[in-house]
Amino acid sequence: MKAEHRESLANYLTALGDDELILAHRGSEWAGHAPILEEDIAFANLALDELGHASTWYRLAAELLNEDPERHPDALVFARPASEFRNVRMVELPNGDWAFSMLRQYLFDASEQIRLSALASSQYPGLAQAAAKIRTEELYHLRHTSAWVRRLGLGTQQSNRKMQAALDLLYPDALQLFAESASELELAQAGFVPQPDGLLVSWKSYVRQDLTASQLRIPDGEPSAPAGRSEHTPHLERLVADMQQVARLEAGVDW
Amino acid sequence: MRDTQWPRFQVFHQEHPDRPHTNAGAVHAPDAELALQNARDVFVRRPDCVSLWVVPADQILSLTAEEIEHTDLPPAPAGNGDSQRYLVFIKRTQVGSHEHVGAVAAASGPAALGEAVRRFGTADALVWWVVSESLIERTEAAEVGSLFGPAKDKPYRDQAFYHTTTLMRQIRGRPKQEP
Repeated sequence: MKAEHRESLANYLTALGDDELILAHRGSEWAGHAPILEEDIAFANLALDELGHASTWYRLAAELLNEDPERHPDALVFARPASEFRNVRMVELPNGDWAFSMLRQYLFDASEQIRLSALASSQYPGLAQAAAKIRTEELYHLRHTSAWVRRLGLGTQQSNRKMQAALDLLYPDALQLFAESASELELAQAGFVPQPDGLLVSWKSYVRQDLTASQLRIPDGEPSAPAGRSEHTPHLERLVADMQQVARLEAGVDW
Repeated sequence: MRDTQWPRFQVFHQEHPDRPHTNAGAVHAPDAELALQNARDVFVRRPDCVSLWVVPADQILSLTAEEIEHTDLPPAPAGNGDSQRYLVFIKRTQVGSHEHVGAVAAASGPAALGEAVRRFGTADALVWWVVSESLIERTEAAEVGSLFGPAKDKPYRDQAFYHTTTLMRQIRGRPKQEP
């Protein structure tokens, strides 16, 4: 693989890892607070899976950069300033209500399903294998969250109203999941990653089907995908400060 | 005030294709589909599992060994009229769980209980459960990979994965700093 491809692919994977990590952190904030014990366990389960996936992407990035696969993920998570995270803004938003969190997790899970299916045939073997493995887990996530989207969408007037409000807020931001990143087209031409515009089309038609069947309306018009992954809301800084609190007590300590 | 608690479902899991389904405990869920998912999350975190069943707890008919001593069993069915299949579970030790032992055909739940006792005998049995097979929601063979596969291979769920020679221990072991 060409040197510039290695670096671009590492950046691509780090961004995917950041999406998973930040969403996992938000998911973990529900632990002990979900509306019912069984959902508390289920949601923590999903969050823990996303954390594991983040770790997988970071390790692959480390390989590409010839970094230590044990140390590099920790450095990314615990030593990077918030401004260097490359997650989409959707995942850093505060949890809001249960409808908001569930719908966000659903929109994300659907994007994972679409992206991982394509990444499973990446020309980079390590990436293809990881994608195939993670995809199996994500099938279950999607099954859980789409079941909830249906029930909340079709449940009561109140649950439908909350879901619609969440969708109106989240949908424009969710499009950022497939916004083309730097060098992504070159990586796609080399066969390492899929074409981003194709993924977006598949994702839109996938979620449209579920959301419409749940009596939810996709917001009018075609919201433009918001600016790049280096722009964040103020919420990310607080989240990262929280996440790095212990690690920053003493740099480099083994814990 | 209205009771907002979700109904309870009994969960049966199977650890190996050659082993019977065994009662794992119960979950609350608004419906059978979500009960199956909750069962997966609550009871299949790490152990081996090849199949899960859930059944509404209030649809299970139960009979204890003690009750059998004091009551007459419903008579054996006369013919094969309007019978349906009931699955039979038996608990054999106080600390044990109900284990799936087989099925009987009967026209009603009470008749199925009587038939279960006659068919599977009273030796070592403490509690019988029967439930109509039609009420059981089960995982399908095709789902085994996505539902249960991942739980087997998740080192990051183990505490040891984080090799936590904890920061706190180091801080505690450190000489006190002068203010």
